[in-house]
Amino acid sequence: MEILTGFLDAIKGIYESSGLVSLGWQNYVMIGISCFLLYLAIKKQYEPLLLLPIAFGMLLVNLYPEIMAAPHISLVEIQSANDPAAVGHTVQEIGGKIYYENPTYGGLLYYLYQGVKLGIYPPLIFLGIGCMTDFGPLIANPKSLILGAAAQIGIFITFTGAIFLGFTESEAGAIGIIGGADGPTAIYVTTKLAPHLLGSIAIAAYSYMALVPIIQPPIMKALTTKKERGVVMEQLRPVSKLEKILFPIIVVILIAIFLPDAAPLVGMLMLGNLFKESGVVERIAKAAQNELMNIITIFLGTTVGATASGANFLKLDTLKIIALGLIAFCMGTAFGVLFGKIMYKLTGGKINPLIGSAGVSAVPMAARVSQKVGQQENPGNFLLMHAMGPNVAGVIGSAVAAGVLLNVVG
Amino acid sequence: MVLNGIGLTQFAAAELSLAEKGIASAKVILTGFVVVFSVLLLLIGVIKLYSFIVGMVQGSGGSKKKKNKEQTPPVKKKVTAEVSEPVSPKQNPPVEEGIPEEVVAVIAAAVASVYGKSGRAKIKSIKKAGGRSAWANAGVLDNTRPF
Repeated sequence: MEILTGFLDAIKGIYESSGLVSLGWQNYVMIGISCFLLYLAIKKQYEPLLLLPIAFGMLLVNLYPEIMAAPHISLVEIQSANDPAAVGHTVQEIGGKIYYENPTYGGLLYYLYQGVKLGIYPPLIFLGIGCMTDFGPLIANPKSLILGAAAQIGIFITFTGAIFLGFTESEAGAIGIIGGADGPTAIYVTTKLAPHLLGSIAIAAYSYMALVPIIQPPIMKALTTKKERGVVMEQLRPVSKLEKILFPIIVVILIAIFLPDAAPLVGMLMLGNLFKESGVVERIAKAAQNELMNIITIFLGTTVGATASGANFLKLDTLKIIALGLIAFCMGTAFGVLFGKIMYKLTGGKINPLIGSAGVSAVPMAARVSQKVGQQENPGNFLLMHAMGPNVAGVIGSAVAAGVLLNVVG
Repeated sequence: MVLNGIGLTQFAAAELSLAEKGIASAKVILTGFVVVFSVLLLLIGVIKLYSFIVGMVQGSGGSKKKKNKEQTPPVKKKVTAEVSEPVSPKQNPPVEEGIPEEVVAVIAAAVASVYGKSGRAKIKSIKKAGGRSAWANAGVLDNTRPF
């Protein structure tokens, strides 16, 4: 009989500690959402390098919330002077009773998440991006920096929308940065301004980046005429090695002096670029753009996904953020194209306004979209390298916009 | 009792009046617009300036022409198998069956980017090259496997 009772108690204990009892309905909804995101990442291949770890992190934290739990110390009363459980622990006396401190360690993803929380991963991702970026088209045609700046206007306009929807200034700043279409920048700004919104903002930012080929073309076509879309641009001049080497050094000096808040992101981007362009540290450049970047991507994706626990994510605010993010993104694209049109007029029709939409970062997807839409009008038109100028300018522009937000509302 | 930062900011948000929200928005839009454009315009100026200086130091236009000359010959060698004197400007080059339009476009783009629109080169025909050797295949596989 005693054996049977013991057996039943054990089964009951296992059942009570299982997810069947401890998980709420929100967790089950989030498990469904994460499975859908996994489907999009694997079957549809929407940004799989990020969406897959994000979706799996989301799945893990909703199945086992303790995986993101912070470490804490609980006080346990000492029963007798020789209580063996208290050996080796710090003892405290409170109200005449003696307690020992019993530490509980945090979950695995909690520790990995510290790189996000402390703003370490996004600049390291920028280091890898810098190693892979060719700023040649931007140096050859510096005017494209204007398009990179224009596409950031959406960030600031969305800020207004968020403020009037009841978000605080800091939250509105973090939501607006989705319009920069730059994942690491969005995460960096959000961890500094509104860490509690990280899950929804990161997921909105990466979703829209994956949807660039669907979101941008209708806006680009609506704002341009057939004639403008058919403009064939002159070939870019060749850029010397010395110019490419000087570029990251000069940019970092200027931006770090004028906008120190953008220095961690721009600094790492330019360090990576100098690794690449200098040609003297090939091993380091390879490590930064391959091994380091891949490792950070795993940690960043999984832990950002793990911030989207049911209770945090299933709120009206999340829907507002997703809607505002879409507005920010569309505005960024629209302003890029509109400034492209202005440049088209000013240069007497030498600039194709379609390259303006590439001013939202999303490298190189946004540039590819410019190329594709341009070719629909004129199959012999190759806008890709022209669009890469505003595209990489957008990376610098969104980092500068991030610096402004951190400075003004941080 | 310790109030966390999140609670405090949310409390502050509830206190913002409509006018305060408008002021906060205008402040951010104006600052953002001015600073982002100023920094990037400054960068344009600096890039132009140092490009000019680098051009001067390296012998300005002369060196550019030299560079172009240096760059073209090796490319020309590679392309000569497919590129020769113009056949007829309006005639489409014969393309071997099984070569998709995209590949033709890429070849045309490569030729146009090297030679420009000067009409110095025309594509005479596009044919598949003979099969690679086993060693060449192994090399290509090794380089493309990560993708």
